[in-house]
Amino acid sequence: MPSPVRLTHSTTLVLVALARGVRHGFDLLDETGLESGTVYPILRRLERAGLVRSRWEAVQHARAEGRPPRRYYELSGAGAEVVKEARALHPDAARATAPRGGVPRPRPA
Amino acid sequence: MTTPEHLPPQTPPPGLALVRLFAPIVPSHRREEWIAEWNGELQHAWREARSRAEPALLTWMRLTLRSVGAVSDATWLRRHDGGFDMLSLDLKYALRSLRRRPSFATTVVLTLALGIGATTAIFSVVNGVLLRPLPLTDPERVVMLHGQPTDGDVEKVTDGSSFPDFLDIRAQARSFSRMGAWRAWTAVLTTPGAEPATMRISLVTSDVLPLLDATPIVGRSLQPADEHADAPAVAVMSAALWRSRFGGDPSVVGRAISLDGNPVTIVGVVPTQSALLGPTELWRPIVPDPMDRARGAHRYLIIARLAPNVTRERAETEVRTIARRLEQQYPADNAKRGARLQSLQDSIVGEARPALLVLLGAVVLVLLIGCANLANLFLVRAAARERETAVRAALGAGFGQLIRHLLAESLLLTIVGGAAGLVVAWGGMKALLALAPRTIPRADQVALDGPVLLFLLVISVLTGLAFGLLPALQLRRANVSLGGLRDGARGATTGRARRRWRTALVVSEVALATVLVIGASLLVKRFWQLQTTDPGFNPSGLLVAKIELPRSRYEKPDAVVRFYEQLRRDVDGMPGVQSSSIAYEHPLGEGWTSSFTIEGRIAPPQGQEPEARVRPVQPGYFRNAGIRLLRGRDVSEQDRGDTPGVVVINESFARRHFPGENPIGRRLVRGSWWPNFPSTFEIVGVAADERFMGLAASGAPATYFPHAQFPMNEMWLLVRASGDARALIPALRAQVWRLDSALPMDDVQAMPDLLGRSVAEPRFNSGLVSSFAGAALLLAAIGIYGVLSYTVTQRTGEIGVRMALGASRANVLRLVVAQGLGVAVVGVAIGTLGAFSLARALASLLYGMNGRDPVIFGGSALLLTSVAALAAYVPALRASRIEPVEALRYE
Repeated sequence: MPSPVRLTHSTTLVLVALARGVRHGFDLLDETGLESGTVYPILRRLERAGLVRSRWEAVQHARAEGRPPRRYYELSGAGAEVVKEARALHPDAARATAPRGGVPRPRPA
Repeated sequence: MTTPEHLPPQTPPPGLALVRLFAPIVPSHRREEWIAEWNGELQHAWREARSRAEPALLTWMRLTLRSVGAVSDATWLRRHDGGFDMLSLDLKYALRSLRRRPSFATTVVLTLALGIGATTAIFSVVNGVLLRPLPLTDPERVVMLHGQPTDGDVEKVTDGSSFPDFLDIRAQARSFSRMGAWRAWTAVLTTPGAEPATMRISLVTSDVLPLLDATPIVGRSLQPADEHADAPAVAVMSAALWRSRFGGDPSVVGRAISLDGNPVTIVGVVPTQSALLGPTELWRPIVPDPMDRARGAHRYLIIARLAPNVTRERAETEVRTIARRLEQQYPADNAKRGARLQSLQDSIVGEARPALLVLLGAVVLVLLIGCANLANLFLVRAAARERETAVRAALGAGFGQLIRHLLAESLLLTIVGGAAGLVVAWGGMKALLALAPRTIPRADQVALDGPVLLFLLVISVLTGLAFGLLPALQLRRANVSLGGLRDGARGATTGRARRRWRTALVVSEVALATVLVIGASLLVKRFWQLQTTDPGFNPSGLLVAKIELPRSRYEKPDAVVRFYEQLRRDVDGMPGVQSSSIAYEHPLGEGWTSSFTIEGRIAPPQGQEPEARVRPVQPGYFRNAGIRLLRGRDVSEQDRGDTPGVVVINESFARRHFPGENPIGRRLVRGSWWPNFPSTFEIVGVAADERFMGLAASGAPATYFPHAQFPMNEMWLLVRASGDARALIPALRAQVWRLDSALPMDDVQAMPDLLGRSVAEPRFNSGLVSSFAGAALLLAAIGIYGVLSYTVTQRTGEIGVRMALGASRANVLRLVVAQGLGVAVVGVAIGTLGAFSLARALASLLYGMNGRDPVIFGGSALLLTSVAALAAYVPALRASRIEPVEALRYE
């Protein structure tokens, strides 16, 4: 299936990071090393194309830490398909993002 | 997605201020959520960093830098999720729904194309002629100084000024930075090997060319030194003449040309478009001649530029004061002579203004009626799509979205209509310029340029909003989400409101159409009156040509008289010529006036003598032109320069100066311009009035002197042909050249053409307004038909019940027609009142005709009502054929 968004190098970096379980905007910045001005528009585009879904963190969870809730992003089924295509297009991008700590963060409910 | 629940306020993290700064960029429906997202990230990162004991400055810088990126995020959202983007979706949707009903779309686009196109075409003329400023710096500060009668007698005080007056005003006035005098002149240019040609010459003081911003292309402009009596004769040439006759050769500067046989040196070339005061091939300095010492010879126009910081009012006060001073100083020549200022632009286009504005007003009315019809169409469509709208609303479309969708549709249609209108406008503009009377000034300035295109765009958008917004407003009132969904519910409230709107629209259509029909009828009646006016002469087969003898070669009056007598004898002998005559001017030529006194009557104070047209003629003029001689005799071959002076007067003269008396044998005293020529003239005949002031004007007093006693150098040759008049022209030219090979014969015209041209403007105006009125009538009829058809469909059930209860078909027919008539009568009443108040605006086009003609008002009202009845009859007939049983089942 051809991707509904243009799979640039940066888009691939974001997609791969999401596939590895990175969910929050700023975490994606840390993970990919890209600027916020690049990552956020990519997220919006992916979301609009239905490759990414976004939700809000549960309020209780945030309140427990004394901060406002964060928004998190995750790949949709179609998004997971596109990641494969993106990896094939940009193998270097797939290698560049090794998971930090190797353990996916706990998924907030 | 929902915005997270509100939490207790936190200390603002670094960068949040920036995010808030960018927030307005984000589309409003996503703004709150967007801020929350960035706030969530920033707060989290801030806490993390502090818990890691990262240096505060470092964190501050990192987060601030990240927040800068929020601007890209915000603009992305605006671009892709803002109103514009939604609009494009709406447009796609609109396109799809229009494609489903091509006839609807075609009707709308055609109506718009014609309405917008016609309005733009007229506007292009208005813009070019009236609105576009003259090509001058601060054109509004360039003014004409006109003479003005202080007692309103325009026969005695014309716009012109005398040269001594000009010199005095220029010396005394402080309100102007420059002032110049201008006068038109003609001379014959002869070049070896080329046909002699008449040159239109502007005689000017050295200030005029700079006043008109005429910078020489080559050579120099005119200088004060050129105006000295002993200065060499010089001229500046227009670029058009330079290119056509001298091949654009710059070496023409310094060369001499021959004007009326005298050598004149060309010193420069100026742009053709500098000739704002009148068409000009050559500009020559005014070298004052003996007549320029006469304060009574008002043959110059004065043009001036206001000095910096001087208002026009102040300048006008000053020239009035100076005029009053001159009046006291020179009562003989300047009695009752005031002064006024007029902007140069007004003085050029002033007369065309009322007609153009009336045309623009008329076409805008048609556009409005077209809009009302379209609004009606859209209302019907909105009613038909009530269910669809309700479904969309139920599925979560907001009110704003629904309106946007409706507007998208009407805007899309208007854009297409406007684009098609551009084509119509272009064609319309070309047609207007081709058909328009030649009296429209500045016609070369008419173009589809920036302001005109902007006008088209603005009226397109306004039109789209006008008929798109109405159904949208309806939507606001209707309870779309509930009422529409109920099966079969016709939404009683919505229906009634909509019906009220549609009726109001049709009433206004009828009212506007009434205004147009009445206006058009007035103009047509006026034109018809002109067309059937007896011109006072017989134009068929009559040719007229001006023949001017240069003063340099025809100085002696005897030579002038001999030339014209010989010419007439020769022309009379030509095959195909029935008769010919020589006159100044011809039955449609206005000529000029001069003052006189009547012998034996107390002379009025100097400067207040009566005036009459002066028209020297050769014997036979009246017979040749077909003008009736009412009394006495024509001037004859025996009336010579050395015999007692005689004169034929016209009916108006007799009525004005000899009411109830026999004028024959009375004598006029007027002096003579030629030594030893008669200065007192005995009235020997009375001729019928010529309408030389135009068919619309009544006759003015005129005096016909024998040419032999009043030897003018420029005369008109009138030839009545026995066959095709135009076929005679080459032979006539040859005949003139046999007498004098250096004489041009300009502007030979057939009298029927001249007569046609004299009514060209009323014909054009009445024709155009009539076609607008016709269109308005048709549109209004369609409007009434549409509304009633719809009502009949809606009321099928009710009508069925009525018929089941015993109403006859005739009753039903009457019911529906009465409804249509009711609408029409209200509209006609409003329109008649409107036309009443607009009649004054038309007055300038009607020349004193009764603008409140009861026959026209009554007739127009009757016409409108009949058309309305006819338009109502068709749906009424359908209603009367409703089968009660069918109708009740349908219900």
